[in-house]
Amino acid sequence: MLEVNNLAVKPDEEVILRDLNFHADPGSFHVIMGPNGSGKSTLARTLAGHPEYENYRGSIGFKGHELASLNPEERLLEGLMLGFQHPPRIEGVKIERFLKQVLNKLEGYEKEGEKEEAIKSATRALDFPEKVLNRNINDGLSGGERKRLELLQARLINPDLLILDEPDSGVDVDSLGLISREMNYLHDNGTGIILITHYGNLLEGLGGREMKVHLFKDGKIVTSGEEDLIREVEEKGFNRIYEECDCN
Amino acid sequence: MIAINSTNTMNPDVASIEDQIEEIIEGNDEPEWVTELRYQGLRSYEEAPLTDPVISDPLEFLSKHSETPADDIESLDDLPDDTKNLLDELGINEMEQKAITGLTIQDGTGMIDSSFREKWEKRGVIMAPMNEAVKKYPELRERFMKLYDPGESKLSAYHTAVWNGGVFLWVKEGVKEEIPLHLFFLIQQEALAQAPHIVILAEPNSEIKLIEGCTSPILSKHSLHLDMTEAYIGENAKVDLSVLQNWPEYVHTRPTQRVKIARGGEFSITTVGLGPGKSNITDPRYWVEEEGQVEINSIILTQEDSHVDLGGEIHLEGNQSTGINNSKAVIMDDSRVITRGKINAESSNTKGHISCDALVMEDGAAMETYPGLSSTVENAELSHEAAIGQIREEELFYLMSRGLSEEEATQLIVQGFVEPAIDDLPEEYLSEIKKIIELSIEGEM
Repeated sequence: MLEVNNLAVKPDEEVILRDLNFHADPGSFHVIMGPNGSGKSTLARTLAGHPEYENYRGSIGFKGHELASLNPEERLLEGLMLGFQHPPRIEGVKIERFLKQVLNKLEGYEKEGEKEEAIKSATRALDFPEKVLNRNINDGLSGGERKRLELLQARLINPDLLILDEPDSGVDVDSLGLISREMNYLHDNGTGIILITHYGNLLEGLGGREMKVHLFKDGKIVTSGEEDLIREVEEKGFNRIYEECDCN
Repeated sequence: MIAINSTNTMNPDVASIEDQIEEIIEGNDEPEWVTELRYQGLRSYEEAPLTDPVISDPLEFLSKHSETPADDIESLDDLPDDTKNLLDELGINEMEQKAITGLTIQDGTGMIDSSFREKWEKRGVIMAPMNEAVKKYPELRERFMKLYDPGESKLSAYHTAVWNGGVFLWVKEGVKEEIPLHLFFLIQQEALAQAPHIVILAEPNSEIKLIEGCTSPILSKHSLHLDMTEAYIGENAKVDLSVLQNWPEYVHTRPTQRVKIARGGEFSITTVGLGPGKSNITDPRYWVEEEGQVEINSIILTQEDSHVDLGGEIHLEGNQSTGINNSKAVIMDDSRVITRGKINAESSNTKGHISCDALVMEDGAAMETYPGLSSTVENAELSHEAAIGQIREEELFYLMSRGLSEEEATQLIVQGFVEPAIDDLPEEYLSEIKKIIELSIEGEM
């Protein structure tokens, strides 16, 4: 479904991603780990079409399209969604109005009542009180609430591939549980997931599902493995693993 | 050398204004004191300073004698067909039917009056066309053209001389009206000065809401809207005025307000200028007595080469009086917005706040803000804040990454910027405003 070949992204002269190769099959589950500044978020934002990273080299194929030809809107409608690490606050735009407008763009929500019902049900699923819909987008929400709002949108949008950029950062324990529960739900319903994280925080809640784990360093994947690679990172830290795999 | 004997030659401007006055008063049968005021304006004209940065010759815009469209207009059904169609397009008929409200329309320089007046009069609210009111209500005389000096600028002098139409709104003591009154101005002729004069008299403990709509839906190539509102807010009275401007890009608007607020009175004005015209320059004044309050909210969206300059001086004359001046501007194309609100604390325990927020949409669009605060007393609390910015790329990216197009995302962000400032307006207006914002941005992209 996603084919990244020899990707290099070079915003403002400084190379951030280089020689990156990555494949994700439909419904697969990937975890990308790496220290701060290793290029994980750049990959996520490049995939979603951030204008700063639109001039890349190499190729990114999604369902047979080269992503360079699609803007962020088209990528979403094609089935690729990014959950932001820092979802921005948008003044004066109520969550409910925004969600309705998003649903207007999607198939399967022709009637006004269907939209409202879907929004309410997703709101409950992410453990929000209904009145949260009257707030402005990401306004006055805690870190955990913002990440849950990203997942609420994922539930409504039901993408084929969901990239989650550090959904566990700045989040309390209760939200952490909700977030892994929601990731399970989405994955069980066929959404492929690329989870970007520093830690194995979310792992416990993900209930031993089959996953591929990739370690990032200086803008490329240096080693890949199974779930136990996450435990290894937790125990040894990135540097020792890089030394051991001769990845430095 | 050419010798000109100028002593007996009347200045051509003065002659032109005099002709206009003659034309206006002919058949109008206005009281002598009113005509005398017109001549005061005329006499001030020559000496009055030309303060307007855009209009160099106010006389390009000729005033016209009131053209009452037809006799026996009792309701909207009696209006001429083209005016009726116009109101339909603007959604005014629909609004009228929904609420049992008063509606007065000034079409060009003629007044069209609806049958609702009588009903309101019984409730203690008088709303009379100004040309009629100056004859009928002696109470008006001591308040008519008392809050400004005709000689302060050429446009003031010109307005004084050639004013036509407008309304007198008189709310009797203790009368409280929940339902807003509507007043609409339409310009339909070319090269036309529309100079309505409005006087609001809110007696003590009264409450009223007034909505003024301004537009020029039919092509008037070159028009000037030169209105003046004088308002007297009695003790503990409350007047809430909303002004919606949707002038096309060739209309110059010069709305002026002079408002006196008595002890404990409250005056608030929300101006939504989604089409402020070719230029919109205003310099209102407010005098606030003890425990009185004034709140000015301006919401402006400018396009093309529109020039908007919002002045405004609040004088906090009484103890514990309050003045607030908020503005929000969305500035597109090569348009320019200047705000220069000023608050003067002249008595103790007064409070004033100026805020200015602007979204500058592209290179070429310009915003300037000059908040002014002055205090001549010890314990006044005055503050101001200003923020000029643009749409953040991250916000656009976020909305687009959820499937919205760049245009839809921009519309949503601009609506979100504007709407919190206007959410007190009736639903019909909000949806209209939303539509206008969408269309403006559609035109941009």
